[in-house]
Amino acid sequence: MSQERDGSRGRPSWMAGVKPGHSLTEVQPLSLLRLESVVKTYRDPMTLRPFTAVDGVSLTLERGEIFGLLGPNGAGKTSTIKMILGLTRPTRGLIRIEGRDPWDPDARRKLGYLPENPCFYDHLNAMEYLELVGSLFGIRAKTRRARAEALLQRLGLSAHARKPLRKFSKGMTQRVGIAQALLNEPNFLVLDEPMSGLDPIGRSDVKQLLREERERGTTILMTSHVLAETESLCDRVAILHAGRVLEVGTVKGLLSSVVEWEIGLESLPADRALALRAQGHRADAVGARWVVRVGSESALQGILRELVGAGIKIDSVEPRRESLEDHFVRALGASREGRR
Amino acid sequence: MTRTLAIAHNTLREVARERVVLVLALFGLMLLIGSQVLSPLALGEGRKVVIDFGLAGSSLLATLLCVFLGSSLLHQELERRTVYAVLAKPIRREEFLVGKFLGLWVTAAMLLAGMAVILLAVVTVAYHDTPWQVLGAVGLNLIELGIVTAVVVLFSSFTTPALTAFFAVAATVAGHFAEDLRYFASQGAPALRAMAEGAYWVLPHLDLFNARGLVVHGASVGMERILYAFSYGLLYVIGMLILAGAIFRRREFR
Repeated sequence: MSQERDGSRGRPSWMAGVKPGHSLTEVQPLSLLRLESVVKTYRDPMTLRPFTAVDGVSLTLERGEIFGLLGPNGAGKTSTIKMILGLTRPTRGLIRIEGRDPWDPDARRKLGYLPENPCFYDHLNAMEYLELVGSLFGIRAKTRRARAEALLQRLGLSAHARKPLRKFSKGMTQRVGIAQALLNEPNFLVLDEPMSGLDPIGRSDVKQLLREERERGTTILMTSHVLAETESLCDRVAILHAGRVLEVGTVKGLLSSVVEWEIGLESLPADRALALRAQGHRADAVGARWVVRVGSESALQGILRELVGAGIKIDSVEPRRESLEDHFVRALGASREGRR
Repeated sequence: MTRTLAIAHNTLREVARERVVLVLALFGLMLLIGSQVLSPLALGEGRKVVIDFGLAGSSLLATLLCVFLGSSLLHQELERRTVYAVLAKPIRREEFLVGKFLGLWVTAAMLLAGMAVILLAVVTVAYHDTPWQVLGAVGLNLIELGIVTAVVVLFSSFTTPALTAFFAVAATVAGHFAEDLRYFASQGAPALRAMAEGAYWVLPHLDLFNARGLVVHGASVGMERILYAFSYGLLYVIGMLILAGAIFRRREFR
């Protein structure tokens, strides 16, 4: 049954006569992934002392977004991912994939997963491995063969389809890992360090592939140590430290604050440069130009007035925003300070 | 079922590509042909010696394959972390375990069946008579292999390869003497008797699957015995796999 929507109000047309607040309410679509106060505690097998790897993580992933899970080693990223995949159970809290417990195999039917530093059966070749993966998803033989061939071609592995996996380089293994994660045409991709082991061309190719998947409506949860790439790829990120979420938000939102202003100049007399440095600003010759870096907007106004008054031609004035890497380091630093 | 069969097929390919399988097969072949050397010493009983030697040898080699390759099969999956990518697919852990069991059992069964064919060929060529009754003994042996494989899968679901191999060998040896164990213990103190009674019911009654004595003397294995052994074997395997599944299901893959 088709449901025409009243676009102006975002409600189905058959609800037009129903006043808002009436007992008939619209049902919100389920979030693709929901984590509520998830805690994971392991016990040291020798001393039996508990160790909390994930400490009250709450996150929600919406459909069609690329979400980055960032954090230093031991922050709890992989532990969180393993619980999402049903490889471990949360000690406390709740995880739901489209409303289902990850332990339920049906919750993983449209999920693709790339492990960190993937390792596959080395007695198989790439095609055989993808055939095995296709069988595990219950995909028909003809379809899985066609998909496997297309994916190997897309990832530049067609020529190596019959080569044993044990002879694959790290980058090639990573690409097989991506192929197997996409074989079931997932609507949810979990990628643990997807750029690991790839050369610059491979990374660019995978980034393009992930953007195409997002266009197709796939939700992607990824971890990465390459923050510059995460910044350009992710819609939202969460920063994890010591098992806790320090920050979560859109990349734009997190990086909105201006850290300094850059004034581009054609020339700058030496005495003026010295004076600016004495005031605590940076003035550097960059090729034939000069760049003055100013920390605050109020100081910027004063310097601009001075420079114009001195007859110095101003080329450009640009805000420099924090990179994700800067933000990440600052957030972790603040967290560590707070814990002392 | 498709998923279980996919894991079984993969396990079969994994095990079959191990060099040790080829070594065992060659060793079995040499054993069967070598038994011909001993037959003149048997004073006209050469045919019996070849059949007895052949059946015992093939059973031993197939059991060794099950125990020593099977004990490291799950451990390797965890160590190489191949299991993470597989269990993140829509497969139940029990299906994975049953697939591993089937793959290992079929590989061992293929080794046993291959050696049985060679044994039949050797006896036919040497004595111009095909001992078809050997097939009954091999059939029982296949069921026994299923039990040994299930025991291996059970122990490998929670312990190390070395301990798995140790427990599986211990269970196999003790299983062949389950009746004797019960008899000797019945002569002892009440506490010992109760323990032995418990062990008797837990251990697989592997003697049930040994029909070599019968076959060597030209008798066939009755259908009633085969059906009884099959039912017992099936129940035992199911019990072992349910237990292994319950343990493996609780396992955390850190």
